[in-house]
Amino acid sequence: MKLYVKAYSSYQGDVYDFDIKEELKSKYKLDTRRQDTFIHLAVYGAQLLKERTTLCSSDELYITSGVGNIDVLQKIHHYIGMEKEFIKPFDFINILGNTTSYYVASSLGIKDKNSFQISNHFTFLRSLISIYASLKISKKDAILGSLDLCTQPDGIIKRVLGVSEDTQILSSVNYQKLSLSSVDALAAIEFDTKTYSLQEIREILQETSLRYVVSMRCKGLDPKEETHYFETIPSSFINDAIQKKESLLYIDCFGDSYKIIKLIIS
Amino acid sequence: MHSINILDYTLRSAQGNTKETLKAIQTGDIKVSFKNVVDYTESLEIPYFLFKEEVLEEVDSIKQAIKEIVQEISEPLTPQQRSQTALIVGTSLIDHNLLNAVIDTVYDPENKPYYSEKKSIDSFAQEIAQELGLNSFTMTINTACTSSANAVIEARNLIYAGVVDYAIVLGVEIFSQTMSNGFSSMRLLSLESQKPFDTKRDGLVLGEAIAAVLIGKEKSSWSLRGGYSNCNSFNITSVGADGEEYAEVMQEAMRLSEVGVDEICVLKAHATSTQANDLSEINAIKKLFSSDLTFTGLKPYLGHTLGACGVLELALFISCIDEGFIPKTLNHSESIIAEYVPLQEHKRCESGIFMLNYFGFGGNNTSLIIEKEFL
Repeated sequence: MKLYVKAYSSYQGDVYDFDIKEELKSKYKLDTRRQDTFIHLAVYGAQLLKERTTLCSSDELYITSGVGNIDVLQKIHHYIGMEKEFIKPFDFINILGNTTSYYVASSLGIKDKNSFQISNHFTFLRSLISIYASLKISKKDAILGSLDLCTQPDGIIKRVLGVSEDTQILSSVNYQKLSLSSVDALAAIEFDTKTYSLQEIREILQETSLRYVVSMRCKGLDPKEETHYFETIPSSFINDAIQKKESLLYIDCFGDSYKIIKLIIS
Repeated sequence: MHSINILDYTLRSAQGNTKETLKAIQTGDIKVSFKNVVDYTESLEIPYFLFKEEVLEEVDSIKQAIKEIVQEISEPLTPQQRSQTALIVGTSLIDHNLLNAVIDTVYDPENKPYYSEKKSIDSFAQEIAQELGLNSFTMTINTACTSSANAVIEARNLIYAGVVDYAIVLGVEIFSQTMSNGFSSMRLLSLESQKPFDTKRDGLVLGEAIAAVLIGKEKSSWSLRGGYSNCNSFNITSVGADGEEYAEVMQEAMRLSEVGVDEICVLKAHATSTQANDLSEINAIKKLFSSDLTFTGLKPYLGHTLGACGVLELALFISCIDEGFIPKTLNHSESIIAEYVPLQEHKRCESGIFMLNYFGFGGNNTSLIIEKEFL
């Protein structure tokens, strides 16, 4: 399976060192009311993408996340579980995953398919497969936003990521505009459903001439490049490699199952 | 749009399993329970379609209930077929793994020292797929009330693209204090019953359900002709009163399925019985269909099962047609539009092309087109 990347955008960092909400209001003149930090992060990344490419109202929109909106869950648990109070209507609405993709779609003027997807692992890869399968029928282009928010205390997100307590977790949002057409493409992402063993991956890495990055989860491969982590990190490495015009093999793993995402620069 | 077939279905609702639910609909013996939810100023006793045997609002209990349904529908599959079967879940359930992490980290760190395991709302699907020997491709879609209807389209896409040969699509919704409080805070809950398209409609009744359909390319009397989903709305919670956005998605679903308006023999409406949704939907129906269209709503029998309603109402609708009838719309006395009256008595029907509507918050609107061959 192959999807061509027509445009991309990335934002990564500690959520407290940059006022995204203020940026959305002042720079992009967007209404940020009734939304939360998770939604602001998603919309901000989408605006960065919009600055780099032309979007169409019939583009399909996919938002994926390794964990989802922790921010609103914390808030709601506090109201209902601790304060024994009623839930505020817009907090309730914000629990629903597609509320985030709704605000992203609204800010981009997209009115077609809109999906909020979570896969427990290989999150980015599975959304690529989902998009490929959909575009085979619809023949449209797709926007994929991969989103992870680290709230405080970061022990919350770490407990559901399967990482050690000293792992540095970042908030991150990465977008790609994807197409089955190679016209004006910056790069191609190649992927499949195949699962590899550790031995097979070792052989592939010995033979490849491409730069490669292995996920922090791939303990058997001595990961070096990831100094920080979030679930949708392959999306970030893909964008970084496109920016550097450098083809890349990204190796992800869960348990004993290994997957490959290949990026080829046009 | 390329046809993929619906090979099997099963469901668990407040009325029981598939057979028991069908019997309840045929006899009109509909059981509804009650639950307490917190409103702005008071604790309310609201009607709620709850399972006969309680499923606790916790990870292990929910997983066991889901697993039983997946086990049932995957049972006839050979090990080879299972290995080519994806599991796609549509739900608006709260992620209890994440909620537990919030509680343990913020409120009880001394008794819950640091632990870490990769978990998400998709863990149900991933773990059950592994335990039952299904394909490792799992995904959980959360697009509010269209979640599992969109999961059906997702499954169709995956099979068409050759990613897998089969897909089990699940709709899951268990009682949630958070969701109940949320709907209550929006003043969308009826204190009596759902009255679809009725001038006296006063809101929805929530319900629990776990339902599954098995989709594949093998021959079946039921086919998924197609479907369309988009995100287009007047605001985050509703479309325009004239139903233009709903009409658009219904029309596009028919175009992609290569089905004309006159070929739709029955429409299963979303019919939440809320003021705004029913008005928009009946106006959308009026835009596209003549007043002799047969249309019905299933929620008065099972409640609004939110993310599960896509697959639940698909499975129930199919099972009713397989039994040779279309269920009447309960609790209806005076229609919003006099000429457009939902079905008032069970009607015989054994085959045809059917439209199923699902509309959700966040402007997420979906229509599916299914067909049963005349045998």
